Amino acid sequence: MAEPTAVDPRLLEILVCPLTKKALRYDREAQELISDAARLAYPVRDGIPIMLVEEARALADSEVRKS
Amino acid sequence: MVTDAEHMASGGPGAPEDTVDFGFRRVARTEKAGMVRDVFDSVARSYDVMNDAMSGGLHRLWKDTMVSKLSPRPGQHVLDVAGGTGDIAFRIVNRSRKGEDGAAAHVTVLDINQSMLSVGRDRALDRGLLDGLDWVCGDAMNLPLPDRSVDAYTIAFGIRNVTDIAQALREARRVLKPGGRFVCLEFSRVVLPTLRRLYDGYSLHVVPRIGRVIAGDADSYHYLVESIRRFPDQQAFTTMIEDAGLSQARHLDLSAGIVAIHTAWRI
Repeated sequence: MAEPTAVDPRLLEILVCPLTKKALRYDREAQELISDAARLAYPVRDGIPIMLVEEARALADSEVRKS
Repeated sequence: MVTDAEHMASGGPGAPEDTVDFGFRRVARTEKAGMVRDVFDSVARSYDVMNDAMSGGLHRLWKDTMVSKLSPRPGQHVLDVAGGTGDIAFRIVNRSRKGEDGAAAHVTVLDINQSMLSVGRDRALDRGLLDGLDWVCGDAMNLPLPDRSVDAYTIAFGIRNVTDIAQALREARRVLKPGGRFVCLEFSRVVLPTLRRLYDGYSLHVVPRIGRVIAGDADSYHYLVESIRRFPDQQAFTTMIEDAGLSQARHLDLSAGIVAIHTAWRI
């Protein structure tokens, strides 16, 4: 049980930020889906993406990638 | 992120009312989502046993009928909202499959409640349903899917728990492809007066007792029963669906209107 449950890659392709409806970046190491536009990181817990704004972590300036 | 969460739950600043129905009580608009989540956290493990006990097994027939109305085909992508325990998703995958090992529809199961999703994913593993399903925690009022991305949107016994039903319906339309199908199964208004009186007595007095005995939780089932009685009737809900921009909204009463299936299209 050391490996975290992997997120279905097809799911990652279709998910967008619920707030901005823009594409997300997957940070495999941190198990987060990152919305640069909303400056939020949505957690992935036990392989399930948690696409709720109230569960998301606010990004620091240094973490935001400009597109 | 409290501020943003409140912003979303309230449908934005300037929302006309700051309280909403929670069963028969009025609660702050911003609190409803959390309270509903607590109800389903509380009932997640006993959810299926309770559904059988409360409906005498009828919920299985209702769900079968819903999926046969949808008539899913292999290769279609279906978004099943509030589908945590997988009841609808499993039916869609199985019904769409051509042959023993043939291709099936793909279902994205979305639920606001992580406990329900965990139950559903465990059940999928138990049934050997490994492909064709994915699980995501999300909010029906702010779907994490692009515009025009799914062939069908299903929601069974979920929409009455959403804080802003009109917003959830607009989101349904947004994510549907043109030509996509909306199918909703929900408690509705019993159309026979005699049966309605019996049903009222049963649901208000008997169901919470069953909840206490089986699930050890009468309060959650009080909420469920009251929320059923608050939900708009067949005609009113049909109008809401059309107001959200979906077309050809129709309904089919099951069990004399204890539940109804509402269907519509995104044109």
